[in-house]
Amino acid sequence: MEVKASTRDGNRLLCIMQNSYDKMHQRNSYNCIIMILGLPVHLFLFMFYVWRKRDNTYSSLLEDSKRSLADEGFKEKLRLEFRNQLIRKCEFFGQHVNESELEKQVENLAEERFLKIAREKTDKRLLKEGKTKSSYSNFFRSLLSQPLFFFLTLLPGLLMYLFIFMYSNPFVKYVFERLVISVFVVIGVVILVFSILYISPFEPAANIIGETATPEQISAFNRLHGLDLPYLAQLWEAIKGIVTFDLGASYAGNEDVITSIAKKFPITLIISLLSLVMAVLIAVPIGIISSTKPNSFFDYTFMFIALLGLSIPNFWQGLIFILNFSIKLQWLPATYNPQNWLSVIMPIIVLGTALTASVSRMTRSSMLEIINEDYIITAKAKGLNKRQVLWKHAVGNAMIPVITVIGLLFGGMLGGAAVTEKVFNISGIGSYIVDKQFIPDIPSILGGVVYVAITISLINVIIDILYAYLDPRIRSKIKQY
Amino acid sequence: MTQIEMENKQALKPKSQMKSDHKKILKLSPEYTQSSFAWITSLALTIVFLLNCFDFSTKTIKPFAFSAFLAYSLFTLIQIGLTVAIRKDILTSGTIRKTTRKLGFIQLLGVFTGNVFVVSFAFNVIKEKKTPEYMFAVYMVMTQFFIIAISSLNLFKPYVSNTFLLAMTLLVAILVFQLAATLLVAKHVTNQSTKRWMTWIAIPLILTAATGNLFALILGYGLLMKGRSNDLSRIDKWDTMWGKITRNTTATLGLFFIIFMFSISVCSNFTFDYSMAVENNYSALLQPPSISYPLGTDDFGRDLFTRIIFGARISLVVGFISTIIPAVVGGALGAIAGYYGHRTDNIVMRLLDVLYAVPGILLAIAIIAAFGANITNLIIALSVGSIPTYARTMRANVLMVSNYQFVESARALGSSDLSIIFRQVIPNSLAPMIVKATLTIGGAVIATSSLSYLGLGVEPHIPEWGNILKLGSTYLETHSYLAIYPGLAIIALVLSFNFLGDGLRDAMDPKLD
Repeated sequence: MEVKASTRDGNRLLCIMQNSYDKMHQRNSYNCIIMILGLPVHLFLFMFYVWRKRDNTYSSLLEDSKRSLADEGFKEKLRLEFRNQLIRKCEFFGQHVNESELEKQVENLAEERFLKIAREKTDKRLLKEGKTKSSYSNFFRSLLSQPLFFFLTLLPGLLMYLFIFMYSNPFVKYVFERLVISVFVVIGVVILVFSILYISPFEPAANIIGETATPEQISAFNRLHGLDLPYLAQLWEAIKGIVTFDLGASYAGNEDVITSIAKKFPITLIISLLSLVMAVLIAVPIGIISSTKPNSFFDYTFMFIALLGLSIPNFWQGLIFILNFSIKLQWLPATYNPQNWLSVIMPIIVLGTALTASVSRMTRSSMLEIINEDYIITAKAKGLNKRQVLWKHAVGNAMIPVITVIGLLFGGMLGGAAVTEKVFNISGIGSYIVDKQFIPDIPSILGGVVYVAITISLINVIIDILYAYLDPRIRSKIKQY
Repeated sequence: MTQIEMENKQALKPKSQMKSDHKKILKLSPEYTQSSFAWITSLALTIVFLLNCFDFSTKTIKPFAFSAFLAYSLFTLIQIGLTVAIRKDILTSGTIRKTTRKLGFIQLLGVFTGNVFVVSFAFNVIKEKKTPEYMFAVYMVMTQFFIIAISSLNLFKPYVSNTFLLAMTLLVAILVFQLAATLLVAKHVTNQSTKRWMTWIAIPLILTAATGNLFALILGYGLLMKGRSNDLSRIDKWDTMWGKITRNTTATLGLFFIIFMFSISVCSNFTFDYSMAVENNYSALLQPPSISYPLGTDDFGRDLFTRIIFGARISLVVGFISTIIPAVVGGALGAIAGYYGHRTDNIVMRLLDVLYAVPGILLAIAIIAAFGANITNLIIALSVGSIPTYARTMRANVLMVSNYQFVESARALGSSDLSIIFRQVIPNSLAPMIVKATLTIGGAVIATSSLSYLGLGVEPHIPEWGNILKLGSTYLETHSYLAIYPGLAIIALVLSFNFLGDGLRDAMDPKLD
């Protein structure tokens, strides 16, 4: 019983693999990847394929149909046809007819057409006899359905099989491709930021050692930090450093870059996340209420405040907050202190203001768009009351573009945190990068910028995946290959 | 249900229904909404002055703020009265009576208090049929008037610049000419056309735009077009487009403030003394606001007001250039990607994804770290970061436009790809780009001052709003006005761009038609 079940499961697995392979081999890029991943298997199989090809029916069938066509005088007919056509064409354009040239052209065209028709005929005959045209992919496909072959090649072709199996599920395929793209984007970011810093006309050595630096000291400094290496070698070191979390020591202060980044990252992330929570909690209800009463006094007031929120520079808002709440009223501490949770309130509000404003504007416009959709009218016609229409049908759909905007703006917020951190004297990643840029301390800036970019990419991947999970429209789009 | 019962039900309309009917009628009148907007904003300003006119620490009343409060409250009260009158007129007769419109002339006096909201309403209410040209003319005069008013504050300074007298005379002469032109425009320009001789006024009007008063330029162009062109569709397009924008009070006020700022940055070269903004004056250190130093002086004795005026040009220039560069580059890349599609699209957009993954400010910091802090590098740094967003916007538009039939017919007629892109596709996908650019200039202004505040933007010796704020932030406890006023200037400019952008979007969005 058990054996039977397992073989059935095995067969099903093979079936899935075969189907997945069918879909995949229609695309050249996937074919390439399959070939590369399963190179040992394919090398062996291809030799076997070439050896077996000798007793092939296809070529003999092709010869056969060629012969039969030639017997019918088909080639002569084609020649005559093309000849007439070409002569007519020359007459129309008033060109002189060159006999030998014409002969050559006729021969070429006829030969081409003849071969094409012969192939078509052969394919038709093959189909009638229930055989497939033997090509390498078909050969491989037929082998895939045989359990013995599969188990024999499981070990050398493991990567390839994993790849094919992953692509049998469109959702897994989507996630995988999304992750691969972000890896490439991150590498691109490293190259971009490193190149910008590399072509900088400044010399960190001179800035650190001071004006009195001798050429020997400078070259020693450059050797110590690998600055004398060629561009590509330095770039490779940088990529390796980012991946292995080892960027070496910073130029000034000789501290480990990764440790300092790891120490500064959490506070920035916490403040940004709390700002995000605040923004969503405030902005979404406001946006929804504004959209249910468009052009009312309430709507105008809130949208004006939102626009004002978009127009206030972070640092000025921070200064005004400090002036009013710390200096005049003395409610909240002016600078950040890890022991005092009150000190985190002002940075959160300042950082979250712009996001709150954007999200509430976006929620409003997205809701207004949705409310005029046909399906909302249908829901109303069905007799649902206002509240049901709003919460069951409108809000959920209106949130989809809002989530994208949140994802995109969150990135900007992480980057923009530098200014807020400077105002409130928070030693986060943003102020770290700003402090290091005067030297310029290449590994510190590179590490700071790239890890922020990685965080943002990761967040966007998660949002995309959530989307694919939640939005039926995207889900169905993913399923189409 | 019988007929009588139906009628009864109509007559017994509940009160709430009546109220919402009234609301709908009132909403249809642009004057009523403008009037409400004017009194609300005016009241808000009045409250701001009221809060500021009392000094809590010394328990005294500040005379200047108090008189401003009195003036503003007077005009606010009149405005509220006018709103009530308009409401009554509309609900009883459906239109605003001539006598009510005449009351608007009182509100014109608000121009002497600097209350733009009330004044712009007054201009709206005194003329029943408004053309876009009338609105331009009115705002042109207002801009000119405020420039003269602001410049004449220099009279209270110990000394003025050498060109001050000449420049002021010229400005006043231009104002008189523009006033005369405005009266003619109000009388002779209709929505369809104008008298042909009006074009002779148009040319000197365009010349007066040399003061930076771009309203004169737009007005002159409009007059020339209406006077000379017989292309009715073109005139109609002009009227609908600008009509939509000028009917939008906030968008017009935004445009007004931007042009005013631009104009004052041009005129300040002649009416303001640059040495006041940059040279140290040890006899006037950290002076509080007074008549000769309207916003006080900083710790080097430099006049804050003059510094803010001179800072406007940097914010405007950096904002505009760092929006135009990425709009052109990103727009071109997006157009190519969207038009050619497939592989080109993939390559271009994936490369831009790399740029998109780094937050704009961080990329700007990295670029400035590599090349040093000055205006050129700042513009480059801000431009590079915003290329991808423009490319995405343009690509989406081009993808849509290149499927339209006129593109197909152009292709069938044998146009080359390049000519199709530049003649057909790009002009038809520009509208969202313009809206986006307007909305992002504000962001660029904020980014400029933020980077300057961090010491990464404009060189510290140049009076730029971020630099002024950075200096002011060190005196937050004792002389907070040094940090407050430049911030207000930034907010006003950015808010104006955002209002204008919103207005442009509403005017250009075909969905709203």
